[in-house]
Amino acid sequence: MGRKVRLSELALARSGDKGDISNIGLMAKDEKAYEIIRRQVTPQRVKEHFKDWVKGEVKIYEMPNILSLQIVMYQALGGGATRTLRFDQTGKAMGNALLFMEVEVD
Amino acid sequence: MKKVKIAGCSAGWPDMMDPAIEVAEKSDAKYLAFDHLAELTMAILERQKAKRPDRGYIPDVIPLMKKLLPIWKEKRFKMISNAGGANPEQCAEEIIKLAKNLGIIGFRIGIITGDDLPIERVKELRAKGIKFRNLDTGEPDIDRVINDLVAAYVYIGADRIIEALDQGADLVIGGRISDNSLFVGPWMYEFGWKYEDAYWDRIGAAVCTAHLLECGTWSCGTCSNFWEEVPEPWHSGAPICEMGEDGNSIITKVEGSGGLVRADTLKEHLVYEVHDPENYIMPDGIGDTTAIKLEDIGPNKVRISKLGNKPRGKPRPSTLKFCLAYLDGYISEYIMIVPGPKAYDMAKRCEEFFYKRLEIVGLKPVETLVSFIGYNALFGPTAPPIDYSPNELGVRFAIKTRTLEEAREARLQATLSWYAAGVGTAFGAPSEREVLALWPTLIPREEVPTKLEMREVK
Repeated sequence: MGRKVRLSELALARSGDKGDISNIGLMAKDEKAYEIIRRQVTPQRVKEHFKDWVKGEVKIYEMPNILSLQIVMYQALGGGATRTLRFDQTGKAMGNALLFMEVEVD
Repeated sequence: MKKVKIAGCSAGWPDMMDPAIEVAEKSDAKYLAFDHLAELTMAILERQKAKRPDRGYIPDVIPLMKKLLPIWKEKRFKMISNAGGANPEQCAEEIIKLAKNLGIIGFRIGIITGDDLPIERVKELRAKGIKFRNLDTGEPDIDRVINDLVAAYVYIGADRIIEALDQGADLVIGGRISDNSLFVGPWMYEFGWKYEDAYWDRIGAAVCTAHLLECGTWSCGTCSNFWEEVPEPWHSGAPICEMGEDGNSIITKVEGSGGLVRADTLKEHLVYEVHDPENYIMPDGIGDTTAIKLEDIGPNKVRISKLGNKPRGKPRPSTLKFCLAYLDGYISEYIMIVPGPKAYDMAKRCEEFFYKRLEIVGLKPVETLVSFIGYNALFGPTAPPIDYSPNELGVRFAIKTRTLEEAREARLQATLSWYAAGVGTAFGAPSEREVLALWPTLIPREEVPTKLEMREVK
């Protein structure tokens, strides 16, 4: 079993909102990091990480041109910016929250 | 090869004004594009207009134009803006008044309308059989909220912008023109691109590139992961993009301005609020954000070019994004700060107090959320267990109710919860507010006839 590190050691993140959908662009710091996040950041793991803050499906798209993953989470903002009770109405910190997730490196 | 420069001069409302002024004064950008709107902004503007028919546009546009128009007189750049919000006609009227006062003659304004639909029209279309399925929740039709609707607006494309420029507009002003189209429009006009097969690759490139510019200084290092490296963000430059007829481009900023333009800062924006990266759906075309390459070619200079042979775009969709806002009860909030030692335990006790009080007064909110600022207000359930002793913690109560009275009562019980701690400083938080929930859906393009009116300051 490999050493565990937080995603923040391998990648940067930016999140945004459209309605109740939160999306996180996860940008790997280099190609090796991209391979690790591509394999280990799965929809299931993302959903487990956010627990009941992400109620719907999670989809992950690959962007090899910029060594990034696009993570799209449905029903993820407590109803969307205008009606959520969360302090972070537009989920701008969802990306930061994801960076606390642990992955294995060799 | 013909090349055209557009600067991204606004990210939303409110925003810093000086980056736009700086671009106008110091750059040779031919176009200044201003995006002022976000999903919620339109609903707020609609409500303002309902109360006062002479409101409903972005008020900042007046002080902004006051500074820009005298520079325009010398330099004759073109401006494209969606500051009209819910009331482009009135917005244009105010700008014309201002221009007259400033002695600006011959200034031509193209006013685009037709993006906001009267609620009656929405009901007519529903009766005709259009269901307006909710894209967020999948709810098949709008019937549940049709009587609570307060605003309905369509994200329109660049068609009328192109027409206005063709008729010599110096300023094109509209309402819910898509952020993206404020840039794609002028490039399509300048290069003579049509909504036809021969152009989708280049329109797609423009769609992807516009996405990098539509949040103004954000792509020059504001709100960035690289914030520690960004020099002087308080006077950040706005992005200036020179695109060629082949759809490839170079992004820079005004020499001497703050901020940072690097492939990294642009990547951050390329992933921002895009879902399927190969299908970034905009009214003027579908962009493929995986088909472009970003390269640093100098300090604060990034080249964007086609990557391999993959087409950068596909035909524009037959439907447009349509957002309906409806009344959905009330939210009240309260924030107080509890001190250490044992701030966390104290906060937990206040939370318990609040829920017990709700029971005692017999209040059943639709939804509640108690979070501790300094611990889990941003991170929610992802916050790891607290293993340190914070100096202080903010306790935030948020309550959603059906009625205004319930919202007030719930907030009162929240304010009392510091009784549980004995000490703690309370401070003001937003009072009760009406909730405008959004219903994102699609509408066939042909149901949204837009209109262009040309006016000239004489």
